[in-house]
Formats: sequence, C-alpha cells, structure tokens
Amino acid sequence: MSVRALWIISHEKGENVSIRFTRRFATVEHRAKSLAGSSYVAVPEDYSVLHLLLTEMGLSDSDKYYVALRDDCLHRQRSPALELRVDGPGKGILWPVLAISHGPLTLACLPIVDAPAEPRPPLASLLSVSQGLTLLAGLQTFLLGSGGKPDNEGLASRLAILPSVLLQVCPLGTPLDVPLLGAPATSTVPTPAGSQKQPAWKTGLHRGRAVVNVALKETVRSMQYGDRSRQDLWDVYGTVTCKCEVEGMLPNVTVTLTLPPNGSPLQDILVHPCVTSLDSCILTASSVDNCDGSAFSGPYKFPFSPPLEPFRLCSYTSQVPVPPILGSYQLREEENQLRVSVTLKLHESVKNSFEYCEAHLPFFNRDQMGVVDVKVSSGQMDVSKEKNLLVWGLGQKFPKSREVTMEGKISFSGPTPGPTDPICTELTAYIKLYFKVPDMTLSGCCVDQHSVQVYSSAKPRIITSRELQSKEYFIWNSTGTAPVSSGPMML
Amino acid sequence: MEENWAERISAFSHSPSRFLSGTTAEAFLAELLRELRDDRASYCVKVLLLSPLCEHPTLLCPSDSVGEETALELMSVLDQCPPKFVQFRCHLLLALTAVLVCTSCVSLRSRAFQDFLDLLLQMAQDTGDLQGDGALRSLRATACDCLRELEACSPGLLSQRLELLGGLRQRETSRLHQAYAGLHALVLRNAVYRLTQDAGAGAEHLKALLGGHTSVAWEAELDSGLMSDKDPSAILSYLVLGPMGTVPTLQTGPDCKELRSVLSSLLEESYLLTPLCQAALLHRLTEVVAMVPGVPPAVFRAQLLRLLGTSEVCLLHSTLLLKCAFTDSLFSAEDEAFILQRLVVLSQHPLLSAPEKLFYTDCLLHFPENRPIGCGGDGDESLPVLLTPRLASALAPTVFNDSATGLARFNLLSLVYLEEAEEGEGEESRGLAYLYQHLAALLRVVANGGNRQVVVTFFRAAFLFLSYFCHVERYCRSLTEELCELYLRHTHLAPHVINLADQVQDKLAESDWAVGFLRALQGVIAEAPPARLTLRDLSWHLKTLARVAEEGEIPQHSTVRFLSSVTAPSPSSPCAGGDWRLGNGLLGVCRRLLVHPSLDSLLIPLADVLQHLTRRYGDTDIRDHARLYYTLLTTLSREKLAGVLARGSAEGGRQVKKRSLSCIMAESEGLASALTIHQTEKSIFRLIEARSEPQGETQTDEVSDLNLNETFPAEANAALEEYRAQFDVPGFASEVTLNYQLTHLDGDSRFDQLFSIRLHFSLTDDHYEELGDVSVPRLLRGRPSPEVRLRLKPRRPYPTTLHASAVFTTQDGLSWFTVLPHVHVAFRQAFAPLPAPPGWGLGGRLGLFQGLWDEMSAEEQDDCATSLLCCQLKEVALTALVEKHFLPYLMSDLTDEEEFKVLFFLPPRSHVLLKIRPGDPVHFSVATDNWQLLRHLNSYLLTITSSQEHTGL
Repeated sequence: MSVRALWIISHEKGENVSIRFTRRFATVEHRAKSLAGSSYVAVPEDYSVLHLLLTEMGLSDSDKYYVALRDDCLHRQRSPALELRVDGPGKGILWPVLAISHGPLTLACLPIVDAPAEPRPPLASLLSVSQGLTLLAGLQTFLLGSGGKPDNEGLASRLAILPSVLLQVCPLGTPLDVPLLGAPATSTVPTPAGSQKQPAWKTGLHRGRAVVNVALKETVRSMQYGDRSRQDLWDVYGTVTCKCEVEGMLPNVTVTLTLPPNGSPLQDILVHPCVTSLDSCILTASSVDNCDGSAFSGPYKFPFSPPLEPFRLCSYTSQVPVPPILGSYQLREEENQLRVSVTLKLHESVKNSFEYCEAHLPFFNRDQMGVVDVKVSSGQMDVSKEKNLLVWGLGQKFPKSREVTMEGKISFSGPTPGPTDPICTELTAYIKLYFKVPDMTLSGCCVDQHSVQVYSSAKPRIITSRELQSKEYFIWNSTGTAPVSSGPMML
Repeated sequence: MEENWAERISAFSHSPSRFLSGTTAEAFLAELLRELRDDRASYCVKVLLLSPLCEHPTLLCPSDSVGEETALELMSVLDQCPPKFVQFRCHLLLALTAVLVCTSCVSLRSRAFQDFLDLLLQMAQDTGDLQGDGALRSLRATACDCLRELEACSPGLLSQRLELLGGLRQRETSRLHQAYAGLHALVLRNAVYRLTQDAGAGAEHLKALLGGHTSVAWEAELDSGLMSDKDPSAILSYLVLGPMGTVPTLQTGPDCKELRSVLSSLLEESYLLTPLCQAALLHRLTEVVAMVPGVPPAVFRAQLLRLLGTSEVCLLHSTLLLKCAFTDSLFSAEDEAFILQRLVVLSQHPLLSAPEKLFYTDCLLHFPENRPIGCGGDGDESLPVLLTPRLASALAPTVFNDSATGLARFNLLSLVYLEEAEEGEGEESRGLAYLYQHLAALLRVVANGGNRQVVVTFFRAAFLFLSYFCHVERYCRSLTEELCELYLRHTHLAPHVINLADQVQDKLAESDWAVGFLRALQGVIAEAPPARLTLRDLSWHLKTLARVAEEGEIPQHSTVRFLSSVTAPSPSSPCAGGDWRLGNGLLGVCRRLLVHPSLDSLLIPLADVLQHLTRRYGDTDIRDHARLYYTLLTTLSREKLAGVLARGSAEGGRQVKKRSLSCIMAESEGLASALTIHQTEKSIFRLIEARSEPQGETQTDEVSDLNLNETFPAEANAALEEYRAQFDVPGFASEVTLNYQLTHLDGDSRFDQLFSIRLHFSLTDDHYEELGDVSVPRLLRGRPSPEVRLRLKPRRPYPTTLHASAVFTTQDGLSWFTVLPHVHVAFRQAFAPLPAPPGWGLGGRLGLFQGLWDEMSAEEQDDCATSLLCCQLKEVALTALVEKHFLPYLMSDLTDEEEFKVLFFLPPRSHVLLKIRPGDPVHFSVATDNWQLLRHLNSYLLTITSSQEHTGL
C-alpha cells in the first residue's frame, strides 16, 4: 500500500521536458525487492524514467511519424497503469506506473506490488494502485492551485514546499492524506483535550458564527442530431458543495435534497467520506439500470460531520424527460457559400432567465469567412476575430415565443484557410451552446434552507443556492453525418 | 554555499551514478555528515542534506558497518538538535529509518537499530510534545510512521508491544490517533500471521498477545521466529489472493472476545481517518479477519453502506477487496449486482478523472464475483456474469473518447459481444455492428487527417477488433477494403499498415486475414496509375510491396509488373531522378522477390527490372547493387541464391524496426553480411611462441657425433674463405624461422570453429623484409593448436614487433576480420646456428670460430667490437645456463669445462662470438662483427644470467 517513487515532470506536448520533482522511497524499494525476489526490477535513474515514460505516453519523438516502441498496434496500454520497459543491466518491466496529466504537468508514481509477482496480478487486486491514484490526484490539485490552471510562479512556489508537504502526507512512501489547499480561511483553534477524538481530516476547530453554505449545481450535456433515425441524447448530473463553519469537534449536520412530487429519482449518488451514514434506498437508483417506477424519490438525507474546508457533499445524475433547449441546425452547400438555418427552442419548464446564453457555430476545413449575411430573430451575431466562428449571443432571455431562429448565407472567401478538424469535414458541423441559468435545476432537485439541520448550540446562518449550466451541449447539422455511429448509446 | 548544496543534491538525486563518478560515495557521505554536524549550516539546508540518505541509503552506505556508523552519527546529530527544529528532526527520523532498514541493521538487530527503536518507542509515548502547533506534523506522528515502516519491513518486530500500541491509540484524542491506528493494525496483522505459522497456537496465545501477557518463553520463540522465515515475501504480500487462494488460518474457536473488541474499536473509529488511511486500515483488518475464522466477516457490515456510496476511489477499492476476501459471507447477490452497476456507472462518471474511470473499467474485468465460474484468475480478463450487453452499452466507445479510454471500452465491449455472439448462435449481433461502425468512424477520422494519436488509436482498435472477431468474415473483408482505401489516400500510413499485418499474423495464428490483407494491398498498389505517383507515395508503396513479397503464398507477378512500370524509362517517372533512397526501396523489393518461392516464374521480368536499374538508374551505388542482384539471379542456382539471401532475413528480418538513414541499408543487410567481412570487437586468437626449434637439435647431433670422414680446411683463413664463399649465393642463410602456435583467446563461442584463416603481418620498422601471408586451414577450440612458421628475413637482426591481423570464416559462413595481439620478436629469436658448409665437423667449426674471433679482435676492423661481461655464477648454474640457452650454438664440446665457445649467427651476415670462462666471476668475452648488436646482447646476457642466478642459487 505504498509507492516506490514519485515523479513530477513538465513538458509541452513532449518537448521541453523537465523533471520538476522526484522522490524515491528507499524503505518501500527495500520491501519491493524482497517481495519480487528474482523478478525484481530496480527503478532506473530519473533521466531514463523520463524517457521511458514519455515513450509510453506516446509523447516521445513527436517529430517522427511512426516509432515501433511507441506506436505498435499490439501495445495497448492498460492504462491507468503503464509499463516501462527498462533496458540495460537492470533489464525488465517496471509496472504498474501510474501517470496523470493536466496540461503541461504530468505526475507519476510506482506503487508497490504486494502480491506474488508472477503471473502478474490484476491491477484491481493491488490497493496501492488506488492509493497511488488518490495521492497523484491530490498532489495535482495542490500543484495546480485553486485556479486549476498551472501558472509558472505558483507552480514553482508550490513545488518548493512539496518536501514539507510530503513529510505530512506521505513521509515514507505510504500515502496518509492528500495535501490541503492552503490553510482554511476561518479562524481555527488548537484542539482542547477532551474525550471526543478529533478526525484526522480536520486540522482544527472553527470558532465564531456558524454559517452553512450549500450550493447545488446541475450540469446538462446533450447531443442533438435532428434526425429521426438517431435518438437525441442528453443527461444531467448534479453536485452539492458545502462549506460549513460550525463549532465543535464532531458537529452533526444534515442536508436534505428534495424532489418535486413527480420528479424522477436521483441516480448514481456518490457521497463524501464525511457522510456518517446512508440509507440503502438512497443508493439503489442507477442510470444504467432499468428505471423502476416505484423507486425511492426522496427526501434524500445526508447526515455528516463537516471538514473545515469546502467539500463536495454528494453528486447524482438524473434522467429528465426533455432537454432544456432543443435545437435544429441545417447547412446546405450552395455554390461557394453555405446556407445556414438554425432554430433553438427553450423548453417551457426552464426558467427564461439566463446568466448568459451563447451559441457558437465553428467552421472547419474551410477558408476564412468572407461575407456573412445572416439574420437572427433575437440576440446579437458576432464573427470571431479569426473569422472561423459565429458567436450568437442570446442575452438573458429568449423572446416570449421561447423560440429563436437564424437564417442566412456565409461565403468562405477569406484569404487564408481556417482551422482544420478531422471530425468536422464537409457538412459535419455543430453548434455548441453555452448557458447558465441561476436558481433552477432541471431535475427539480433542491435544498430547502429549513431542511438543513445543525446540531449545535448556536443557530447557524444557512445559505443555499442552485444553478444549471451546460457542458458539451452539441447540436449537429442534420444534413451532414454526425460522428456518432449508431444505437441508443450514451455520450 | 547553500545554493551550491541545493544544486549538488539535485544533481545527485537525478543521477546518482553520474554524480558519484565525480567523487566517491564515501567522500560524499563524509561531506554530508560533516555539514550536518556543522552548527553554522541552516536547518533548511540540513533538511536538504538528508534527502540523499533518505532516497539512496544503499548507495551511500554500501555495507552494514557503514550503515551502522552513519546511523550512530545521525543519532548524535538528532541528540544535539534543539527541539524547536521539528521538521529537521522529523526528516532525521526518516533518514535513520531508511539507512537502518536498507543496510541490514534492522534484520541483524544491530546496536544502532536497538537504540533507534527504543528512541522511537519513547517518542511515541511522549505525549508532552508540541500540543499547540497543529499545522506542524509532530515528531510523535513521524515516530509512529517510522515504527510502522520498521514493522512493515521487518514483520513481527513489534508484536510484543501490541498491547502498548493499542493503549496509546485508544488514549489519543488528537489527530495523531490516525498514526497509532495504522501502526496498531499492521502490528496486529503481523502478530496474527505469526501465530498462524505456529502449529500449536490457538485462542490462548491470541488472547495473551492482545493482553500483553506473553510469557517469556514465547517471546523468545517469537524473536527467533523473526529470523527463520523461509520466504520473507510471503508475509510482506497481501494475504488474501482471491477466492481461489488459501489464507493461513488460526483456529481459535468462536470465542475471540478480545480480538473482536479490538477490531470493532478500530472499525468504529475508522470514520475519523482520512480516506487513504481508512482504506489501508480496512485492508489490514480484512487480512486479520480472513486469518481468524472465529471472527465473522460481519464485523465489517456496519461500515458497508457508507463505503459503497463513497466517491473515494481507494475506499471503494478496499470494499472490492473486502468482497474478494469474503464473497457471499458478507455480500448478498443483490449487493453484488449493486456493486457491479456502481462500477459501470463509475467507469463513465462525468465527475471522475480519466485514470479513475480506467481503473474502474479494469475492476470490471477483474470483478470479484461471489461464485466465480472457473478459476480464470491470474491476471486474465474475464467478464462478470452479471455484466449484460445492456448494462455494458453504457460503456460504448465514441470518437470523442481519449485514446486509452476508447481502447479500454472497445476491449470491454468486444468481450461482451463476443460472449453474446457465442450464446446467440447465428444471430447478427447489433453490438458487433456497433463496434464495427465505431472502428469505421475512427477510420474516417484518420482518413480526414486525424493526428498521430488518433492514427495509433485506430490501428490498436483494429488489432483488437481482429483479435476478437477475425472469424466474422463479413467485417474482416470490409475492414480490408476500407484499410486499402485508407492506405491509398494516405500512403504514409504504410508502417502502421505493415505493423498491423505483422502483428495479426504473429498473434492470431488461426487467422489468414493478414495474408488476404497484404494481397489486397498489392492489388490496389498495382492498379494505381504509375504516372500519378509522387516520389513519397512510391517509396511507401515499395515498403509495402517488400512486406507483401515476404509472403510465399502471394503471387508476385503484379509486383514485378509494378516495378517494371515504375522503372521503365519515362521523363515523368519518379525513378528518373535517381534518388538513392528510392533505389534502395526498389532493391528491397527485388531482394525479397529473389527468395520468393515463385521466383522461377518471375525470372525474366525480374531480370529485366534489375537490368534496367543496372543500366539506367541515376545512382552508382544502386546500379552496383542492382548489378550484383542481377548477377546473383542469373548465375546462382535457386538453392544457392536462397542460401545467400535468406540468412539476412532470418537474422535481421522484420526485427529491424529503427528507421534511421543507416538502417535503410538493412534492406540488403542479409546479403551484406553474407558477402562482406565483419570485424570482431575483440581479438579472437593469438600467436604464442612454440618450444625451442628442432633445427638446433640436428646441429648438436652432428656435433656430438664426431664425423670421422669430415673434410675441412686446415687453416683458419682457408676455412673463413670457404665459409664466406657460401654467401655469394643470393639468399643464402638469410632467414630465421620462428615457430608459433595459433591459440584461441577466451571468449565468444561463435568463434569456436574457424576455417581458412589467413594471417597477415605488417612491420613496425625497417629492420626486416616484408613478410608473406600465412594460411592456417582451421582452428578448433579444444583441439591441438596449429603451428605457424614465420620466416623472417632480417635486414638488421634487431628485436622488433609485428602487427598481425587475420581474415577467417566461421562455421555459419560469415567472413571476419580480426586483429591479433602484437607479436614481439626478441633478440634471441634472430639467432641462427652457424651455416657451416655441409660436411664440416667440430674441427672445421672450431677453426672458423677461431678465424672469426681473431679477425674481430683485430683493431682495424670498422664494425667489429669486443666486450667483456662478468657475473657471479656457480659452476653448476653455468653449465645449466649453457645447456639451456646456448646448446644449439655451442662450438666447443659441452664436456670441455675450461671454456665454452658459442657462436650466434644472425642473418643476413652478423656474428656474435662468446668465450665463456668459468670461475669467480664467470667471464663472458664477446666479439662481434656488428658492434650495434652489443647493447641487445648485453641485455640478453643480463637477462639469462640473472634468471639463472635465481634458479641456480
């Protein structure tokens, strides 16, 4: 349940590679050696690990079209665990190397195999693998900072304190915790001696006014084809994020999610480890199972004892009967121009009050746009600076009819070719919708202020909020071939 | 200085071997320890200095004793460090742990280790530490971690402290209870394991262990048990290896109150641990419960719901492992169905990261079923029974997936639909149709110019598809067609296409898809109009055709037609440019055609193509090669041709994957290795001097055998004249013959049997005439060494060094060039016996000796010189010396002990005469007609006399 070594590297698509941090855990290596016996493969020095890792991730020799070691069709990486084929005197296969990447940052570690090495045990039998994944994900979050994007200075400063962070979370190769993202904002006091044990995931105690903030956010994804033979797809998932500033060592808080009377049950519920107990009926509904009409539909109670920092209390998915915005997109090639016709219809159950709503119409594998002669029934049309994208700003509201249209012609007579894309060729094209609707959810799920219970002396202030936003919301041109093969398949 | 340390430590950590090549481990360690003791160094730097010891303790402490000393040093540093530098002290503990574990100090229970263990235990119990500072990890927690690591590396170490550790855990209310819990659980697990290995152990022992009442006798037993492990890896491994594995058990009967109470207390508080520690704790306790059948798995039940609903990958994973261990004694059939559904959901959950999803997908293929069918186990992927096509359809791959996800899903669904197809015999599977459509969608993305990653993904998916469904004719045919079309549009995919064909052929022996595919490729290439071919297309086509030509069952007429059409003289032909690479491509195909089984029917058109190349191609090298192939084709019999050419493809063949410029020549590499001379890396054999020559013996025979009817001039002068007259004949006595033996040097068994060895010698100075080559028919290891006679023709008879090399053939028919160790020719080797006229006996020789001596002693002679050397030699030693070294050159009788007369003749016409008079000291009077020989003679005499002194005295 330990890792033998840890590497943090940065690169730009395989170029400008540098090792930013490494750590080897000698005692774990010692155990690995006695566990593996004759099949032991030592961890090579950093530079060769780096090279092997990039090859395995398909990033080495980016200037070469085909490299057998990297591109052999037989070699299907059983990711997330990579094999590094070590050459030279310590020849052998280093397995299972876990690697996760975000932008230019790649983190990798080598978990110990605490099972007989031959034949190779399944990944699923090694707890060190999920532990390694958790450690890497935790370190990644820590290094990327709150913004989720690596900025060089922030990264460098966080890398600089990594040794002391590791002393806390993984001193001897056995991951104990993931690093905290900065000190908690609230004032904390040291633990008084008492009979109640302090949770290891709580760094101190809150002192001051009790505030509980519960934010419910739903995300909707969709693929609409405008084609009878092909079923449109959409799905909704929600997350409940909490920030609880409550006094006490192990305060009890309960958040309850409720659905409207005929709402479809919440499915695939996942909870934060601080949730103390769960009713089995909360977990039963699943998106991959036959929907059972008699399924439990709330209220969903989540009793927990909160950590100091904000956390995701739970997540769920939901099957809603209709997509919030139904679109149709038609393109016709006419001589040197495209005739465009778009209709977007806002479903009546959706609150007609957006924080923003934009439709993007990108065009690939064509020259830049020349004359753009399109009319919209509502909102505002812009052509991007690069002249390969139409941005249709729909503002905060759809018109009363809840339907907007766009008609017109675009000629592609610009001086330079626009971007290319291997999927969107010929008439394969899409509209991507970006929108956010405050104070509503598609599933109808909500957290009532009064349903949040805090068992502590002072009466807490309770803030709840909800919102709906889109992600990967595509409307494909119905006159072209959409890139989903067939069948009632999920996204 | 601080900056410097940061750099040096980082250099060391990136490449210890490179760093240590500039210094020694010993010196570096000494430097580190000195700096650590230095009061002026800041504690930040000191923390840094500990990292080499933490990360590479075995490099810095190569032996146990160095480890022990280093540990003692570090302990004294710890002793002197002010308590406020908590971080540094923590790092010191880690470094000490690393050094002690990795050198064998722990397993040997060295003194430093005992001290350290006592210190750690003392620290772990010292609750008076920095209560206030929550942000800093306290020393106590690190001490617990070190103890846990020591226990992990040396299982059973703390078994007797179980009660103490349990108490510490229970009393602790700060966050540190987590560290105690981890330690307690591990020690418990190891102690129980130890009991399972003891045949007599039972409930009483367990109780005693938990209560800390172990008897002294038993403690000793435990201690000795620590060292006597047969297989140390057994206890280090996870003990529960799936439903088919066996777990060592401890029979206690149903009453294990104490253990149960410890377990439930640990489990109750598990909620207070971080997910990572919870998972580890559950894992350890799973092992403990599995080992003690007296405790029902139901102790975990209270935790299950919480665990099954978790969003944490490690917690769910430990639950899966729990299921693997206890199957239906803890999980009902409904639970099983639920967990499986969860895994499907998690494998595609939008909120999870890609590696997590992939991990869950992998778990699906190794799902711990309650009642597994068969014992697939062992890393094989198998589908859980409950994973229906409907359920799995949630994991259908799409073109939007990243490569790894797409392939993992493709693989999973292939397994699902393969099973479905097997069950629903004859029925057309919609799932399979979907998979094929997905493959076709990927292919379209590739055709539309998808990037490298998409290309690789597509070919991997294609291989997967073929490996599962190569029996479904319809799709395979269709895939062949689509691939051919794709290839024609994007010829640069040739390496991928060839790789796919290779792998399918290698791995799917039952399928003939690869051959059919290659045949189809040949067809589309042959039909492509040559006029429109670009140079690039053409070279890829040639690559592909070369691969096609490796298939004996594919007729090659269209390939040859294609070759003749592209080589036909035409201004638009890409061959008109005479590009060398292209020429190589053409020759590559020709070469494979030369060994193709249907060569007979290709003979004339192929000869035409080669002749065209020979005459018209714009590159000389290519013309030469083409001419060679043409000659081979037209003059060698088929068998011979195959023999010459086949070797290369068998050796290098398709394994030559590197595509650098120099490897292009790998195309004709086989031929090259058969026809060119390779060079050995090291010397293979050498010449060693054989024992003294037989010539001398005949001479002495003659001398001893006094010839009665000898005729010789009575006068010294006349003798001289007669003797000198012989030299008028050119080449008279101008050679010395040196005898050598050719012997193997140690090494490569490839060179055990060598044939047709031709030795070549070159001179390093002008004292000798050039030497001719020497042939040796064979050299076989383990057989008597062949003799080699070197006939040296001196211009000046000085010592010299010869450079020797050889060309030979090995058993496999390859020719080699090798360099031999230099051959040193010593001064004495230039000696020849006196070439006296035949018929002269002892008298004549003595006369000649006297004549020469007189002449040389006369002062007016230009080049002549005399000299005297004295040395201490006993009489016996002197006789031995003469016998050993001078016998072939002795003029006087050996029995004549008054004076030995020795004459060395050195071709072409130098003489050295010795008169050796015994006595104290022995006098060596020397006369020579070539004064320049004196210095060589002196050193020669000194050598032999001094060696005789040693042996003689």
